[in-house]
Amino acid sequence: MLTRRVLVCLDVRDGRVVKGARFVELRDIGDPAALAEHYEAEGADEIVFLDVSASADGRGTLLDTVRQTSERLFIPLTVGGGVRSVDDVGRALRAGADKVAINSAAVARPELLTESAAQFGRQCVVASIDARREGAAWLVWTHGARTRTELDAVAWAQECVARGAGEILLTSIDRDGARTGYDLALTRAVADTVPVPVIASGGAGTPSHLVSAIQAGGADAVLVAGIVHDGVHRVATCKDALRAAGMRVRAAA
Amino acid sequence: MTRVTVFDYGAGNLHSLVKALEAGGATVVLERDAAALGTATAIVLPGVGAFAPAAAARARGLDVVRASVDRGTPVLGICLGLQLLAESSDEGAGAGLGVMAGRVERLEAARVPQIGWNAIESPRDPLLASAQLDEAYYANSYVVRPTRPEQVVAWSTHEHDRFAAVMRVGRTVGVQFHPEKSSRAGLSFVRAWVEEAAA
Repeated sequence: MLTRRVLVCLDVRDGRVVKGARFVELRDIGDPAALAEHYEAEGADEIVFLDVSASADGRGTLLDTVRQTSERLFIPLTVGGGVRSVDDVGRALRAGADKVAINSAAVARPELLTESAAQFGRQCVVASIDARREGAAWLVWTHGARTRTELDAVAWAQECVARGAGEILLTSIDRDGARTGYDLALTRAVADTVPVPVIASGGAGTPSHLVSAIQAGGADAVLVAGIVHDGVHRVATCKDALRAAGMRVRAAA
Repeated sequence: MTRVTVFDYGAGNLHSLVKALEAGGATVVLERDAAALGTATAIVLPGVGAFAPAAAARARGLDVVRASVDRGTPVLGICLGLQLLAESSDEGAGAGLGVMAGRVERLEAARVPQIGWNAIESPRDPLLASAQLDEAYYANSYVVRPTRPEQVVAWSTHEHDRFAAVMRVGRTVGVQFHPEKSSRAGLSFVRAWVEEAAA
């Protein structure tokens, strides 16, 4: 039986880790490779790099960062942000990523998911979905949550899987950085309708929020960022909370 | 120094694997030409990509690995690398090398791919004992269905589907998980294999 995973997300801009609340207000946190290594030692099950660089230069820097990180990291690394083509996916994998998260480019051209899965296997294709509540549903937003689409997030998640995604990274824009807990209804709606693992993202404020994302939200894995970067909580205490709630988690080495 | 040749069929991330082998005391050579694998003293078939492109690579010369196996050259197959050592696959066209008895089939579970850390059950191999590898990282939709269970030296279970986690035939070892992604215990496993290959 799989353990429940705690993923640590590092927002990387021009080669440095930053963390924005509600996708803005960036501030410097540190060196990505050193932080990734630190979180592996703390018991993180995976690391996610999301490139929030403003320029193509910054994105080139990201691949160097991935290379440096994979020298020392021995847990899985997912890279996302600015992935537009199968070649981009291949470049990220060759730089040392294990999985690639595709967001706006999949909305623009869903075939990218299919082509990437055919070339590299669906286990390395992560559909990253940013969703915002609107009425009784959630709509997909793209381009760093700046552009609204008409896509229903639950239906879009299903299409992503049908197209070749092997995992869904589901971020609530409403909750991102708010630390009031994951959007459990959104997480549950997606987790109940797709046959691949769902990673809940956006809103973690306390370890008990992680427990709720899995128990009430039906998530397979949870993603944290700000609460561990700030030192408010440690990865180990997050996993302790899952364990105390009766879940299997991996013991830190 | 043990010289280990990693087959690079161009599909993906080999960085962590190379680093893990080096940390285990090996000198690593990346080889893109399957035919050249025949002279290697120890071979790793890495675990990235899909079966059909890899089986196509096999058609271009990976058969030489079968001869290496028969000569007793140490071989480690990881994930897809294990699957290539089996006889055939549902995933795509092309036959496997037939070192491990069995066919590659899709996992029977509600959530596929299996992505995450899973327990290593009923281990009975010195490599696993010395590494204390209790949990390992998986990212796979397909598994080997062994027809000779004695070749299976450890199992894992995804939901209710129990499958071969580690298989061994002589000096050929195949693992369905990714030791190079399984943190410290995974590195210990790789080191143990490098040491066995040198012996």
